[in-house]
Amino acid sequence: MSDRHNNKFISRRENAWRRNQNTVAFEHSTRLGPVSHTVLVAMMVAILGLIYLTQVTKTSSYGYAIERLNLQKTELVAKKSELQVESARLKSLQKIQSSEVAANLTKPASTDYIR
Amino acid sequence: MKFSLSLPRFRKSEILATIMIGFVVIIVLNLFYIQIIRHEYYKQQAYDEQVAKFVLPAKRGQIYARESGSIVPLVLNQPVYLAYADPQQIGDKSKLVSTVESIAGGNMVDDYKDGLNNKSLRYVVLARQLSNKQAELLKKKNLPGVGLTESDRRVYPEGSLAAQLLGYVDSENTGQYGVEGALNDRLKGKDGKLQAVTDVRRIPLTVSDDDVSIPAKDGDNLVLSIDRNVQAYAESALKTGLKRVNATKGSVVVMDPNNGQVMAMANYPTYNPSQYGKVTNYGVFQNGIVSEPYEVGSVLKTLTMGVGLDTGAVSTNTTFNNRGYVQIDDTKISNVEEDPISANATMTDVLHYSLNTGVVFILQQMGGGKVNLQARNKLYNYFHDQYRFGKKTGIEQTGESGGTIISPKDEQGNNVRYANMVFGQGMDVTMIQTAAAFGSAINGGTYYKPTVVAGTTDNGSNLHAAKAKVLKSNILRKNTSTTLRDMIVKGRQLGALGGRDRSGYIVGGKTGTSQVIDPRTGKYTDENSIGSYLGFGGNQTPHYVIMVQVKDSKAAGYSGTTAAGPIFLDISNWLLDYLKLPPR
Repeated sequence: MSDRHNNKFISRRENAWRRNQNTVAFEHSTRLGPVSHTVLVAMMVAILGLIYLTQVTKTSSYGYAIERLNLQKTELVAKKSELQVESARLKSLQKIQSSEVAANLTKPASTDYIR
Repeated sequence: MKFSLSLPRFRKSEILATIMIGFVVIIVLNLFYIQIIRHEYYKQQAYDEQVAKFVLPAKRGQIYARESGSIVPLVLNQPVYLAYADPQQIGDKSKLVSTVESIAGGNMVDDYKDGLNNKSLRYVVLARQLSNKQAELLKKKNLPGVGLTESDRRVYPEGSLAAQLLGYVDSENTGQYGVEGALNDRLKGKDGKLQAVTDVRRIPLTVSDDDVSIPAKDGDNLVLSIDRNVQAYAESALKTGLKRVNATKGSVVVMDPNNGQVMAMANYPTYNPSQYGKVTNYGVFQNGIVSEPYEVGSVLKTLTMGVGLDTGAVSTNTTFNNRGYVQIDDTKISNVEEDPISANATMTDVLHYSLNTGVVFILQQMGGGKVNLQARNKLYNYFHDQYRFGKKTGIEQTGESGGTIISPKDEQGNNVRYANMVFGQGMDVTMIQTAAAFGSAINGGTYYKPTVVAGTTDNGSNLHAAKAKVLKSNILRKNTSTTLRDMIVKGRQLGALGGRDRSGYIVGGKTGTSQVIDPRTGKYTDENSIGSYLGFGGNQTPHYVIMVQVKDSKAAGYSGTTAAGPIFLDISNWLLDYLKLPPR
């Protein structure tokens, strides 16, 4: 039974290889010597090292950004606390009682409830 | 024969190569030793140098009070700064001094100039408690060798309001007295931790998988059950009332009998928590309402009446022969106040005229006609197990006392003691115990745990309410509670203070004047008596319980009536308006 009849999937690449399996392989005339290999490996290591360094530096720079934002947050929280305290002082009973508005208020003579 | 030793001859280059190889071997071996054998040691050294551990301080929770459905701050945190200098790094010293002094002013510390002259020092404090504004100005000056450290201090926008109830926070950031002391763990929160590789300036860098970052857990922001206006009015009324009778000391507690929440706790004399260090009389730190048990006197007759009604020993129709005194074993117990001797004294008379003989009669009825073990056991069961005298209430205050109540099984728990206990002598209870027991006796019989905490808040505006906690139900039967309430109202209406209550409301109460034991003689004396008033008010049902205590009143008459009673009246009439209760 053919592959097609077996419903087996054959990729185009495999099919192409099967077609050309009897052809002669081409061999390039230039060959890399051991020095070239070493240089290439060294370059790859250097590139990888650079990539690593850029990543590490990048993540380190987040530390500075976080620190800067933390300082900013601390300053804002401090200002908020200051304002809260000031607001509370202005709304305190002592402040209200000594205000001009309070001085002009009069005590109700009596209180009645509508039933 | 000539001996000749022929040594191998080496070329110079071979010798040099051997030496070089030797060096390389030594270096390799050394590297092996350092990197392999001492690996952990050097790794730890590098780690210790590069990694810093920081404590992320938790913010202490703030404290709020209630006010007509909203929340108002009582204790807030304010950032303050400490300015310091490193004498080895400062530049122009005279410029530094003039700049810092012009900004810090009165916040400069003494003798800081001596520190600046000492170049061997690395840390000299220049100024403390600088405000945010001062710190900002100092930062802008960018003085070399000068730094700032931030911390928080507690501020009290309402000054000395509710001082004993709040307590204070000491220099170690630990709460002392009041809520600050009792709920210190909840308020202080939990510090966080940051462990990270840092640069030379100790700035954390996010490069290591070993970084640890545990955020701080801030303390709870507490909302007290205290109403700011009720508290302020209670304090004002107490101060005015004490001044009127030239008394030296007094306290007021206002509670909601329907959930056990304290609406006000006022003590006089008082102090300002922001200046706790200036206090010389340490007694003012104590909240006497919870920490000072005393013989409350005749106010307790209301609770004895509740026991008599609940046990069926007496009813509203019961009468007794009041001869003005009663003999219990070898002790004669007499009435002390205005005493209309009558063969048919009623139970309302007992409360109205504060008849000691009347409450002893109730005790006798509980024993089948005389004070005996049966009567003592019954009374102890109610006083200790139902009203919870002798047990701490668990209110969120430091130094709470459970008071003292002697068991009938104890040698000291004899007939005479129990005949005294029915009118509030011979046992010690605190004001909070008395007010809580009284609240449960008139609210239908449910004992709520007294509390000063209404809940928490995240942002200072929304209340996450805590549920009321029932410690015991049916301490009195419901109908007993209603009957008792009516009798207390009638007892007050017939008295001197009753006619001055706002009409259309139910207001009941009872005076008490306790004799104090003279430490010189060990006997009760009328000098320096303690006047008390215990009562409630509302429209259809009680909405508040007020207990007033006045010590050392100089006014004529019984201090329960002349000193404590008017303070109750003042607060009660004001509360009826403030709570916007429509009359019946």
